[in-house]
Amino acid sequence: MTKGKRLAGTIIIPVLVLIITNVICMSRGVTMFENSLNWLTFARAVANVSLVTFALSINLNSGRFDFSVGSIALLSSVFSATLAVNHELSPVVMLALSLLFGMLLGLASGLVYVTVKLPPMIVSLAVALFYEGMAYHFTKGHGVSFINNRELLDFASIPNYLIIIAVALIFMIIVFDHTTFGYEYKALQSGQKVSVNIGINEKKNAVICYAIAGLLMGAQGFVSSTTTGSIQMALNFGSIGPMFMAFLPMFIGGYIGRFSNDKLGYLLGAVSTSLISLLYVRLDVNSSVQQVVSALLLVGFLIFLNNENRIKNLFRKH
Amino acid sequence: MDNEKIIRREKIKNIIFQVAPVVGLIIMFALFMILAVIKDINIPYSMKNILNQSVIVVVVATGAIFIYTLGSFDISLGANMCVSALIGAMAYNRTNSLLAMLAFCLGTAVLISSVCSILASVFNLPVFVTTIAMLSMLNAGVLMLIGANGTGDIVQVPAAAVSAINTTWFKLLVLVAYLAISIFVFNFLKLGRQEKFVGGNPECARLTGLNNSRLAILGFIMAGIGVGLGAFLTITYAPTLSRNTASSVGMDVIISIVFGGMPVSGGSRSKIYSAVVGALSMTLLSQIMLMLNLNSGISQMVKAIIFILVVYISMSDNRKNILPR
Amino acid sequence: MKSMKKVLVLMLSLLLVVGMFGCSKDNDGSGKSTDGIDDSTNVKIGVLVADATGAEALAFRSYYENYIQKQYNVTFMYSDELADAAAEASAIDNFIANNCKAIISFASADRPAQIRKCAENKVYYAVATGTLSDEEYKEFKDNEYYVGAIGPDLYTEYLAGYNMAKYYLDQGKTKFAVFGGATPYYVDMHIYRTAGILVALCEAGGGNYNGASDMGSMIGTIYGMNCQLTPAVIGSVELVSYIGGYDFDDAWFGKLAEAANNPSVEVLLAVGSGLDTFAAFKKPNQFLGTVDAYTADAVKAMEAGTLNYLAGKFSASIGPIFMATLSAVQGKPIRTANGEALALSQGYWVATSADEAKNFYAVDSSTTDPAYTRAMLDTLFGASYDDFAKFVGAFSFEEIQNLKK
Repeated sequence: MTKGKRLAGTIIIPVLVLIITNVICMSRGVTMFENSLNWLTFARAVANVSLVTFALSINLNSGRFDFSVGSIALLSSVFSATLAVNHELSPVVMLALSLLFGMLLGLASGLVYVTVKLPPMIVSLAVALFYEGMAYHFTKGHGVSFINNRELLDFASIPNYLIIIAVALIFMIIVFDHTTFGYEYKALQSGQKVSVNIGINEKKNAVICYAIAGLLMGAQGFVSSTTTGSIQMALNFGSIGPMFMAFLPMFIGGYIGRFSNDKLGYLLGAVSTSLISLLYVRLDVNSSVQQVVSALLLVGFLIFLNNENRIKNLFRKH
Repeated sequence: MDNEKIIRREKIKNIIFQVAPVVGLIIMFALFMILAVIKDINIPYSMKNILNQSVIVVVVATGAIFIYTLGSFDISLGANMCVSALIGAMAYNRTNSLLAMLAFCLGTAVLISSVCSILASVFNLPVFVTTIAMLSMLNAGVLMLIGANGTGDIVQVPAAAVSAINTTWFKLLVLVAYLAISIFVFNFLKLGRQEKFVGGNPECARLTGLNNSRLAILGFIMAGIGVGLGAFLTITYAPTLSRNTASSVGMDVIISIVFGGMPVSGGSRSKIYSAVVGALSMTLLSQIMLMLNLNSGISQMVKAIIFILVVYISMSDNRKNILPR
Repeated sequence: MKSMKKVLVLMLSLLLVVGMFGCSKDNDGSGKSTDGIDDSTNVKIGVLVADATGAEALAFRSYYENYIQKQYNVTFMYSDELADAAAEASAIDNFIANNCKAIISFASADRPAQIRKCAENKVYYAVATGTLSDEEYKEFKDNEYYVGAIGPDLYTEYLAGYNMAKYYLDQGKTKFAVFGGATPYYVDMHIYRTAGILVALCEAGGGNYNGASDMGSMIGTIYGMNCQLTPAVIGSVELVSYIGGYDFDDAWFGKLAEAANNPSVEVLLAVGSGLDTFAAFKKPNQFLGTVDAYTADAVKAMEAGTLNYLAGKFSASIGPIFMATLSAVQGKPIRTANGEALALSQGYWVATSADEAKNFYAVDSSTTDPAYTRAMLDTLFGASYDDFAKFVGAFSFEEIQNLKK
């Protein structure tokens, strides 16, 4: 494949989305990126979506459906925010704590999975319930609030979000594309039995995957909590919502991965969906319409992805 | 002789693990009864209550087994049920006919399920992602239906209209009838066998000439019937519907099925009665938590631990040296 | 063999858990018996909750569990968070099965169905912090098992929004951003508060909002717009931005940020959850008012200037309905002169300064000396309707402090 084709394949989707969203906005007399606040909204959305997409993709690409990512973000941010508020910690320390707690919670989830050897979906349901309950019990249902802590709230800035996004992307590329762990991960992904038979320690690999996913969700929990300065509790699987925002970026990432790097693809997928989010904000689109449009985009893109050859043949005939 | 012993031991092991979820249910029931006696609760009323609380999930989950057996899952069942119930209720309000309400509940649910599976089949989409998209669309549809009805945030059927059928006997009748049909279809017709084959090894099934898409559509239709009946029973039990109606059913179905010993990956080990066992176990567990009057957080943590323990035991025999996916 | 061991271990563990918790003693009451109140038998009361995690709901729960349950020989059993009418029906069935003598409801998906079910099973039913509609009250007022409702009626909700907006309009503010809360979900409480804000803007601006300028027409207009409101210029004042719903996704946060950060916006008003929505985006030169609960965080926010106006229900406001319920259970129902159920309105405590908020919160959160103490509530046991109504009607902070004296 030529460099030109690779580049085209990599950027075509985000560029198309950028053009279309801008055209729609202009037709309504609105500018997409009118001021710095719009850029901030966009950067925050990219950070949120890309972190969740990275986290979900780690396990989903190995056939492990994980409902517990939202609960890990919730509980890790509860712990880190409580410590930050009680000990007047800086946002960087709070972020570090969130990452640490996220990683530990993910690790615990992974250890449960490899110990009980139950289908990951089942394990994730139990973990989600447990972590939600733990967060509720820890805060006595009140959640955590730091709306008066300007230092923590001021973390929400474009440079900080860009740093988080860049670090997450570089981390994912290095760990999954340039380490032994990453090679073993890919081997297990494509041939589980064969990989185990040749001596790859599947359990260790799975536990590390869960820990990394937890680390990323710890970051997402931090980004989310510093947006409003408060963390609301969730019970009865109320925390599984964030998981669904990652599917479209993941599929876009999978497509882009053919031309370049799938992690970069996930990020560009997040950029694409965040542009759409910003469009909703700029045009004040109501929630029902947002849901329908997002669903149609997901199905539409999947139809394209799973029927590319048919579509190509259709065009060739004509 | 040794071989005979091994074979007998394996047979006994298999039987034990087949009945492990049922044993779990019996344990849960025993615990419930012990606590009920200690706390001196109204046991007959509780029994009726357990039926009321579990019948809807049992019906919907029994239908969902036809999807899970194929190795798929459907996260939009709750939203499907809400839309079906709303349309059924609106049909009753226009016709004053319970039969019309039932017909619209069933028809809507089957239509939604069919659309999902047809989309997935025709366009080669992964079923679970199609159901995720369907979930968003249906949630939006719920708000639009409630808005269109013009009576504020609810759609209501007069309580008097459904009071005659809001009885234990009617619910038992619906449950037993649907269960009997499902057991018959699943265990005695080739649909069930073929679904198990596809769930166990889709490639092999395809190579033997089975039409996986056709089976998926039929499976979703069976699930749709369960959802429609669930919607009808929801209206009879609580004739005021809102945007949150059946919001927890989707997750309750997954938990019930798993709790009942159904393998999530489907295949030959799928059992049609998993839904009954699982839903009843879940309801009993909730009753136990209520009697203990624990705070919501602790109650949820205890439920999670019991859930994983019970499933761990019921799936003990299926451990391989590679991790399950 | 291994699996049998596992089954045995599981059974033993579960029995242990059951034994630990199942043998917990019910509260046998620590309060002294007062004339008429029978403290010798424990009374189980079920509590229906629609919201298990909101600050207001937790404050109410704290009052019942940490004060009332310690003062009286009662046990409160709480439901899980109830999302719909079916969940409410299930929860009531659970309470009846657990021999609850009464149910106090904070859930409103289908109140008539709740009352009917309770009455069928001879269980008393009361509404806390809410009211029945006129039609519903007409249907149930004579039902002996319907104790009544005490809480802000819809007009009080309307006034909460109206007074909040007027407070800033009177200071000469003209540019507003409004968070409509659950208005898009057709929740009456938030619709009426929003209507109150809009009517205040119309009166001050000398204009109208899509043709409406009084309470009745404004409610009609809101419904006519399918509860999806839009910004508007209203005479000399302006609704610069409006956001509704609780989507909690990136687009929703973006809309909140845009609304708050519009350079012309002077005042941010929230019909609920102001601290969880606008507060983080508020600029130092803006003012934030909300209808919300009195919490430690709300007080800190008032002290820091993040929050400037707080209208909240005080947690002990559910004391009188508890006493009315206990009274009914113990054979001394409090009814009107015509033998009808209670239908009393109670409003909000409004704090416009940090000191006020601190004082309110100190009383509101106290588990030893709350707004309504046992001594005060005991006077309501078997009281006449007039005395009861007079007590409930004196709900302002100052009036309650006077009552205490």
